[in-house]
Amino acid sequence: MKGAGVRFTAAAPALPALRPAVQAARVVRHSAAIAFADMRAVYTWKVWIFGWLGRMLAQVTFFTLLARTTGSEEHTAYIAVGNSVMTCALECMSVVASTTWERLSGTLVLLCAVPARPVWVFFGRSLQWPISGSGTSLIALLFLAPLFGVSWHPGQVPALVVLVPLTALTTYCFGLFLAAFVLNANGVRNIVSNVAYLLMMILCGVNIPVSQWPPAVQAVADILPLTHSLHAIRLVSDGAGASRVLGAAGLALLCGAGWLLGAYVAFNRFMARARGLGSADLF
Amino acid sequence: MKLFLNGFVFQLRLARRSPDTFQVCATAPLLTVIFLAINKYTGAGDLTSFAVAAPTLMSLWMLALSTAGSALTEDRDLGTLEGQIAAPAPMELTFLGRMCSVVVVGLVAFAESWLVAGLLFGRWLPVPHPFVLTGCLLATAVATAGTAGLLAPLFVLTPSARTVQNTLSFPFYLLGGVLVPASSLPDWVQPASRAIFLSWCADLLRDSLAAPPVHLPALRLLAVLALGAVGYGTGMVLLHRVIMRVRRAGTLSQT
Repeated sequence: MKGAGVRFTAAAPALPALRPAVQAARVVRHSAAIAFADMRAVYTWKVWIFGWLGRMLAQVTFFTLLARTTGSEEHTAYIAVGNSVMTCALECMSVVASTTWERLSGTLVLLCAVPARPVWVFFGRSLQWPISGSGTSLIALLFLAPLFGVSWHPGQVPALVVLVPLTALTTYCFGLFLAAFVLNANGVRNIVSNVAYLLMMILCGVNIPVSQWPPAVQAVADILPLTHSLHAIRLVSDGAGASRVLGAAGLALLCGAGWLLGAYVAFNRFMARARGLGSADLF
Repeated sequence: MKLFLNGFVFQLRLARRSPDTFQVCATAPLLTVIFLAINKYTGAGDLTSFAVAAPTLMSLWMLALSTAGSALTEDRDLGTLEGQIAAPAPMELTFLGRMCSVVVVGLVAFAESWLVAGLLFGRWLPVPHPFVLTGCLLATAVATAGTAGLLAPLFVLTPSARTVQNTLSFPFYLLGGVLVPASSLPDWVQPASRAIFLSWCADLLRDSLAAPPVHLPALRLLAVLALGAVGYGTGMVLLHRVIMRVRRAGTLSQT
């Protein structure tokens, strides 16, 4: 069959220590393919731009207009930045709903049977949201926020292009943690995601500085990645030094990793329970 | 009236099994906190009436969107759509009853927002015009139910209905002057804003919570009801056309 045009080559074997990471990456890649197929099924470019993006820009304008009506120009710009960044956090909370779609698709039983860690399946399964959310946030920050007094110079844009996806991914990890619990109660998926995003809007310094809340509330805000990544973006906006920006971004990354670890443990525990009970309905 | 009540009770029974209907009870207080926190931080004039009115109207609109968006598809999933269409009872009446029962839940949002303003921010909002306020809330609920009647067939006719459902929230809040009065929007937007019943409701609701006498309350209530009726009438014509089309084509189960 020489000349059939297809050649099969074995992949280079990974180092033993790296095998779990390689396997996890492969699982994420495959489940991300489902995420992108879902995205294509729901949105065309026109629907995304004139539907979704328009809606999100209207949301940023909605909250910013309140500040413009009642507050100072400085606070108007503050809210414009906060709500522009918030759009990606909001979109990432869709992971709570899209994780439960697997129950509706009837694939949970199969997931119980495979040796792959479920967290990597679900991590890849909804990756369309942080990607789309990053796009929405960047457009809002760069094109809408300037209408409310925010100004960027070209040197700040690369930092935003890094920090916005960081915000999206770390918040996505928080959403994934919530999704692990909602998998067993998919009737409340929309309530959980909406309440979570509104709480983040209250706590994370989106509309007013975190320091305005009592210490106990600030402590809760500190474990949410959005608090730190948004702070990093505000530091960039204020022209702060790289070390301060990196410090805030590092804290966001640390929080995101913590929530991902939490999601890992939660999904594993639920899977172990489902296997023990012999029922994926209680996954 | 009996048909209306049957629809009312039927939707309440469905709502008991659908936590999404009560989602606004969780989100309205949080929205009030956001608005009042901004107001307190800026130190500008007291905007408590804005912070109570906006979540109420947003909750009602959200319910209209979610219920109207899912009503017909849910009926089809339950297997009751065929029966409703075949029955001699006019679907327009039962449908209005169903929508009215859902918007009653939205009125809870007003009480919640009022309580949150008092309990968390110490801003106990007086009600200087209780009759206008009650009339406004009832008219808003009826107009929302009527407008849901317009949205339901639109969602059936539109591909990507879920996306459209998501899209119609904040642009309408903005255009309807739900938080910031429509009068502060650019001049060219205002005619469109006045065509949306929410803008009349928002202005009247805020005025009914303010001390000065309310200007022309009866006329403004009439405007709210008239816009709701136009929405409902148009929706029922559309619904009738959709039903006739699927009857003729024999594609009801694919609608």
